[in-house]
Parts: sequence; C-alpha cells; structure tokens
Amino acid sequence: LQTETREFAAMLFTISAYLSLAICLFGLIYRIGRWFRLQIGATSDSPNPGQRLGSAAAAGLDLIFSRRLGSVLLALGKDVVLQQHLFRQDWRRWLMHMSLFYGVILLVFLHALDDQITRALFPDYASTLNPYLFLRNLLGALVLTGAGIAVIRRRAIRALKRFSAPSDHLALFLLALVVVSGILLESTQIISPSIFDQMVIDYLGDDDPELVEPLKAYWAAEYAVAFSPPVRETDASLLADGKNVHREFCAECHSPPQSAFVSYAVARAIKPMAGFIDRQHLDLYLWYLHFLASFAALAYLPFSKFFHLISTPINLMVRAAGNTSTNTPANRLTRRAMGLDACTHCGVCSQHCSVKPVFQVIDNHTILPSEKLGAAEKAATGRQRPVEAVELAEGSHICTLCGRCTIWCPSGIDLQDLWQASLKDLGCNGYSDPHSWIRTRSIARWAEEARQRRSDAEPPPPVRLADSPDSFWACVQCTTCTAVCPVVAASDDPQRDLDMTPQQIMNLLRMQLKELALGCRMVWDCVTCYKCQEHCPQGVKVADVLYELRNEACRRLKPTGPIMSNAAKKVPEPEE
Amino acid sequence: MDKGANDITCDLMVIGSGMAGMAASLFAANRDIDVVQVGITGEINFASGLIDLLGVHPVETQRLRKNPWTAIAELVSDIPTHPYAQLTPNQIERALDEFLAFLRDAGQPYSAHPNQNTRVITPVGTIKTTYAVPASMAGGAAALATRIPCLLIDFYGLKGYSARQIKENIGKNWPDLRAARINFPDLKGELYTEKMAWAMETEQTRQKLVQSIQPHLGDAQAVGLPAILGIYRTAQVLADLQDALGLPVFEIPTMLPAVTGLRLREAFEQRLPRIGIRSIYQHKVTGVEALNDGTFRFRIGNGPAEQTVRSRAAVLATGRFFGKGLYAQRTGIKETVFNLPVYQPPDRTRWHHKDFLHTEGHLINQTGLEIDNHFRPVDGNRNLVYPGLFAAGSVLAHQDWMRQKCGSGLAIASAYGAVSGYRDLLA
Repeated sequence: LQTETREFAAMLFTISAYLSLAICLFGLIYRIGRWFRLQIGATSDSPNPGQRLGSAAAAGLDLIFSRRLGSVLLALGKDVVLQQHLFRQDWRRWLMHMSLFYGVILLVFLHALDDQITRALFPDYASTLNPYLFLRNLLGALVLTGAGIAVIRRRAIRALKRFSAPSDHLALFLLALVVVSGILLESTQIISPSIFDQMVIDYLGDDDPELVEPLKAYWAAEYAVAFSPPVRETDASLLADGKNVHREFCAECHSPPQSAFVSYAVARAIKPMAGFIDRQHLDLYLWYLHFLASFAALAYLPFSKFFHLISTPINLMVRAAGNTSTNTPANRLTRRAMGLDACTHCGVCSQHCSVKPVFQVIDNHTILPSEKLGAAEKAATGRQRPVEAVELAEGSHICTLCGRCTIWCPSGIDLQDLWQASLKDLGCNGYSDPHSWIRTRSIARWAEEARQRRSDAEPPPPVRLADSPDSFWACVQCTTCTAVCPVVAASDDPQRDLDMTPQQIMNLLRMQLKELALGCRMVWDCVTCYKCQEHCPQGVKVADVLYELRNEACRRLKPTGPIMSNAAKKVPEPEE
Repeated sequence: MDKGANDITCDLMVIGSGMAGMAASLFAANRDIDVVQVGITGEINFASGLIDLLGVHPVETQRLRKNPWTAIAELVSDIPTHPYAQLTPNQIERALDEFLAFLRDAGQPYSAHPNQNTRVITPVGTIKTTYAVPASMAGGAAALATRIPCLLIDFYGLKGYSARQIKENIGKNWPDLRAARINFPDLKGELYTEKMAWAMETEQTRQKLVQSIQPHLGDAQAVGLPAILGIYRTAQVLADLQDALGLPVFEIPTMLPAVTGLRLREAFEQRLPRIGIRSIYQHKVTGVEALNDGTFRFRIGNGPAEQTVRSRAAVLATGRFFGKGLYAQRTGIKETVFNLPVYQPPDRTRWHHKDFLHTEGHLINQTGLEIDNHFRPVDGNRNLVYPGLFAAGSVLAHQDWMRQKCGSGLAIASAYGAVSGYRDLLA
C-alpha cells in the first residue's frame, strides 16, 4: 500500500504541477496579450494588436540604447526592490508588502524550486539543513505576517472594508493556505516515527537494535519524534550513545530542529496526537494539500491579483521610462491596458479620492477609482452589462479628474489618462452623461413609473419645495424665468429640446403634477446658474426646485437593476 | 438686531425698485440726497413702457379723457383723498418732465403731447389712452390717428400677440390695415420676447427679418411689429429696420412681462448708480427698527449676506399685492415692512364687488396707505405714524390706477411728492 500511495502521490504531483504550469503559462500569454488587444480610448483608425506589439518592442529597443535606461533601472531598484514609494506613503503598508513580496519570492526560489535552483547554487543543499531550514520558517512567518497585516488593514479601514472583493481575500487565503499547510506538514514530518523508520532503513542500512534504540531515544529527546510505544528519553547513557549514532549517520543532513522555529514549536504542540496523525497518514494529506494549494496558486496567478507580481514592476518601469517613447498612440493604448493589470486593488487611490464624500451619499462603487478601474476593464473587455455601464457613466462623471489617484497609485498607473479615455469610450457608446438613463423614456412613461413605484414604496416622502403650495402661490406664470434661462436660450426650439420650459414646470408643480416634471429634459439640462430664481418677480425658488426635482428623480427612478437592461443602451436621436 | 458699527448709513432709504422706487431714487439723487435703494426685481418688469397720467375718469362711467390735466382737476375735486390731490398740476408736470428727461438721456426718448392723451393700439387690438409713449411706439399712434395703409406683423410661436386679432378689432374703420404672420429668424417653438429682443440687437437677425417682411409689404406705408426691437439699442434697431424697409416702423406693446419693462429696468439699474444711488437690488428688507432719534435701521437680506442700513428717513415704494407691499390675510390686509395702518374695507366680504367686471371696480383696489400732504403715512385718525417715513406709488390708498389709467403718473408724481416732502422736512 505504501508503494502504491507513493506512486499515486508522485503521479498526482507531476500531473498537477504540469497542469498548473500549463495554465499559468497560457494565462500569462493571454494576459500579456491583452495589453496589446484591449482598446481604451481608441479611435477607428487605432493600430491593430500587431502594430501595438511592434511599437512596444520599438520603444523597448529604443530604451535599451538610451540614457533613460539608467532611470528605469533606478526605478527598478527603488520602487521594486526597495519599494521606497510605499515606505513614503505608509510604513505599515510597506512592511506588509515587503513581507509578502520577499516571503513569497524567496520561498519560491529557495524552497519550491530547490531542486532546480538552490541545489544548483549550493551543492550541499538539504532541506533539513541550516540556513535553509531556518530561512524556510522565517520566510513562511513573513508571509503569514504580511497576510495578517493585509487582512487587518482590509478590516480596519472602513472604506476599504466596504469595497474589498472576495478575490482580495481569496488571494490572501491561498497564500496563507500554502504556508500553513507547509508548516503543518513539516511539523507532522518532524514527529513522524514512520519517516524515522524509513530514514533508518535508507541511511543506517541496518536494523541493529544496538544502534537504532539509542538513536530513537536521542531523536525522541532532541527532534521530538513521537515513537509508539514511547522510548526511554531520560536514560543519559542511551542518549549519549544515540548522539554518537546521530553524528555518524544523521547530522550531516539534519540541523538542530529548533532552527525550524515555527514548525518545531507546532510539532511540540501536536506531539500528543502523534499516534493519531501517524495512523491516519495526516502528513500525506497535508502534503497533498500543500502542493495542490501551491499549484492552485500558480494556476491562479495570471487570473488574479497575483499577476501584479509581473505587471506592476513592468508598469513602474514603463512609467520611469518617461513619455518620449511610450506616448505614441499605439503605446498609449498598450499602457492603459497594462495599467488595468498593474492594479492590485489596494484601495489607496480610493482612500485619497477627492469625490469620496459623494460615495457616502450615492451608493455607486464606480465613483471610487479602485472600483472604477474594474468597471472600466469590464467595459474594455466587453463584459459590461448596460446597467453597469450606466453606473460607470455616473461614477465617471462624478470624478473631477483631479489627478490625486494617479499621484497616490503605488503601482504607478496613469489613472488620469485612463479615466479620460474611458469617458471618451462611454461617450461614444451613448453614455455621454451620468443621467443618460433619463433620456430613455418619455416624460409620460417616467411619470407612470414614478406613480407605480410610489405605491410600492413606504410612506410618501416628506413635503419639500416642489410639493409645498408656499413655493408657488405667488407664481403668475409671467415667463420671466423662461425668458432669462440660458438653457432655453441655447435651444432654437425649447419644446423639442427641453420638453418644457421652467415656468411650465412651475405650473406643473402648482397643479400637483410633479411626476410629469421628473423626466423633463429641462430639469436635467438645468445648469443651476440661478438666473431664473434671481429674476423671478415673485421670489419663486425656481432653480432650487429644479435641483430638487433632479434629486428626487434620481432617488425614485434611477435604475438599480435589470430594469435598465433593455432601456439603457440607446439614446434616442432628437427628431428633426 | 445688534447695534453693529458696520451699518450702511444714508439720508434716505428707498424701499422698492418698481416705477415709484426708481423715480424716488432719481428725484432724490437729482437733489443731492444721499440714497440707498433696496428691492427685488419686481413690477417694473411688467411695465408696458407707456406712461399713463390719467386716462379714465370717472371709472364708473369709464369715460376716456382726451386732456389729462382737466381730468386730474376733476379727479381731485371728486376724490380729494386721491394721491394726485396732494400735488399741484405744476408739480406733476415737473415730475414727468424730469423723469422723461432721464429716460431720454438713457437712450429711451418718449413722445407726449403737452395737453393731450395719446391713443395707442394694444396687443389684443383695443385702444388704450395714455400720456407719453416710447418713440418706438409713436409711429403706431400716428398711424392709428391717420389710418394710413399699414401692415401688422406677428410671429409663429409668439403667444398673446395676434396681428390678425388686432386687425379684426380695429380694422372696421381702418380698411387698409393688414396682418401677416411670419417665422422669426432662427427661432422655433414658443417664442419669448426677451430672446427675440436680444436677437434683434444683431444685424444678421434684422436683415433676415426684413427679408421675411418684404414680401408682405404691398402698399403699406407703415409696419407695426410687437415690441421686440432690442433692449439697449432700440433707436438704432428701429432706424435700421426703417432704412431697410424704406417705411416707418413702430412697436405695439406685448403681453407682460415685456421687453418694454426690461428696457426701463436696465435704464434705471445701470444709470441710477452712476448718479450716486447705492443700490442693493435683488434683496428685500427683512426687518426694520424705528430708533428713538427718529431714524430707521433696516435689515437687508438673510443669513451671511445680511446687511444693515441706517437712514434718517425712508420712502416706502413697495407696491400693492403683486409687489408685496401689501399682503392679504384672511383677517385683513397688512403692510409688510412697517406693519403700517392700512386703509381697507371693514371686512373681507367687501373686498370685491359681487360683479367681477363691474365698472365701479373693487374696494380692494382702493386699499393702501393714507397719507398727509407730505406723503407721510397716517393712521385712521390722520396722526403721523413715523415723522421720517414717506410713501409713494401703488401702495397708496384711494386710487385705482388700473381702472383710472394713472399707474406710471401716480408712481412718478407721488415719488416726487415724497422726495419733496423729505426736503420740506429738512427745511
């Protein structure tokens, strides 16, 4: 059975290793290929993927033979190796990221690829020897620390907690699973008597009790192996003999177990359950878990935020290369697509977003840059549903393009440029303003909708300006508001372009026909210049009322779900 | 109100920016009185541009008067409480002259016959008796008087103005009156006179309009248009059209608010500050305190924009109901700034005549402030309320300016009377 199990384990390892490697490679090709395919802010005469690849290669070649190579390498040193920019922003985040980054990278090279790399560099390598034994534990502890800080950060910062996605936690979970399963595996191996027996067969080549009994005692005492039945650990002369046997046969490959400061501690803790663990072959299952989790992480890499391991350093270096070679139309498109992938969803941009307060009022995640990026990606890849486009349009238009997110982005993404390009795309697709949804129906249809929804809704809203007779009692329909309105003046046919004029809207409200006013284009095109209100001879708060109507329409009619799926897409052309 | 040191101080506070308020400010500034004027854009937007003096007396018989001065003499003897009775004809005439001279200097000349009212065409084709007409409308009065062949133009989309209706109403005795409806250049849908007037200030629009009118000219010797011939350069717009058409052109008043009111408002709002008026337009008096030394302190506006003005005296020119100088409550009619005693019918049932269109009019249209011969409000026992407070315009009692056709004349003359009263008080 043992041989069969071993064979099965080896086969499972090999298959899953190659499978995950294949997935990872294809994924990488797909993701990197996307940098040259995705179109954000493109025009009809934009270059094709081939041309973009060529432009990027040309820029790369140009860079290698230019002085700017120095600044790129400097950026590599400062921003990738030392991650100085993170340290300047927040030393705790720097600590978190350095722990995760170096923990994972070094574990991969030192441990996961030990046969390929470590042994090649250090011929006397053995996983149970120091410094490798110690370093593995140290790096594992670092990864766990980093992941711990990351989880705490995502929980403690309220805004961050609100928009942390399952994928953020899944990535951390996978890392933690790999490390924890590794530590547990090492602990069970430490205490395993079966492994001890196997090693004795392999390395002593002798089952002479004279040699094995002292060695057992010594290993039980010093290496925490849990023998069943227990051996006499306290017999000094036995231990001394055991030590001699150990020196002769084992010490060459086994450093003191205390160096494995994490797994040795765990081993001590689980030693009482050793019998159970050994009988159930838990170490075997932990081994499955460990390598399957690792390969899962490998396969997941191109499709998750792990990909930023590759995309972000490249993005940082491209940024450091400056605009001279990357600012061609083709490379601009490529940089934008690369920027999408360089995002780690760390949320720093959103923490510093100028219009974050709007997010407190309007529950639209795409107001925040970190979320808008995801929505823009969906739009670029054509996976966006109309209702999401409506949301993105709203979020994008609330953005003031102040550029703070670009300044703060630790991945060096030119977000400002991305937003401008994305706005352009939205405009081309008919989402030219945040409230394009209101244009999808006639005022009568909206009125009907508003009345229906009112009946579903809770108690009627409190009396506001637009509902109060006091607001309009003095209105004499003199048309002064309409006559001074610059929006009316800008139209050569107000009825066609605006549905109704301000004074007509005031009249609707006087007649308690507020619902009919909600969809009026006049309400939505009002620029709140307040000329109407200032000129009203009767002191009617015309502009305030229009503003209130817009807010109310948003509250009552703004599409929130599938209702927009058929309506949102097309903006009707004005009839001639 | 705190006794802030930041009070604006002045000699005379004019409350109201309608015809009476503007006139009071003008007369005071012309007499070197230090004035602060406050008021929201109000009734002056609703001015037709025609300056009535007295067109009808007595209202019961609806008798149209040819000579306003003989009519005023009769009015004063029939209704001794009418505000005109506090002034001599000479004073009224001087007030009108001064007022019209200001408008002439502001580029808005008027035409008036010294002892004769003028008959003008209204937008619905009735005839109105008035005193002074804007020069741009004088041609219409002349055409009406001589009944020369005349073309009236109106526009698709312009509400409340129908050339056809005018022709139907006054064309019986004027066979050569014709009407034509055309498109206004570059505007569609419902038209607004202010927008049209803005457009008319451009040469391009005028040229296009002339081209649209020309095919309809026929044998016409004059062309009548609604009052849309610009806001700031009416004289030039008019001259341009006359040159291009080769015929006299005149304006007919439109429904209100009209460009004619805008022209007046612009003239005052732009020129009064130049002659020393400190104006606080777009604001209302929100509180007043009569101090022991006889002066007033006014609170202007609300919130952070609040200001205070301290003045030796004040002219109350807040208008009646539309101007919000008076406010009709269920229990009676109130004066809104000082809560002054208001002359009014004994109870609400008497406010209106049972017959809405009765020639006698309604008692509520006689309500307002009673005054002494210095235009200072008095109570029911004819005791002064505040020695430094004067009143002018439609807020005054015992006049029915709409039926008597004396609105502008009353505003101007009573403003003159109030400013004179203030000067008498100083003397």
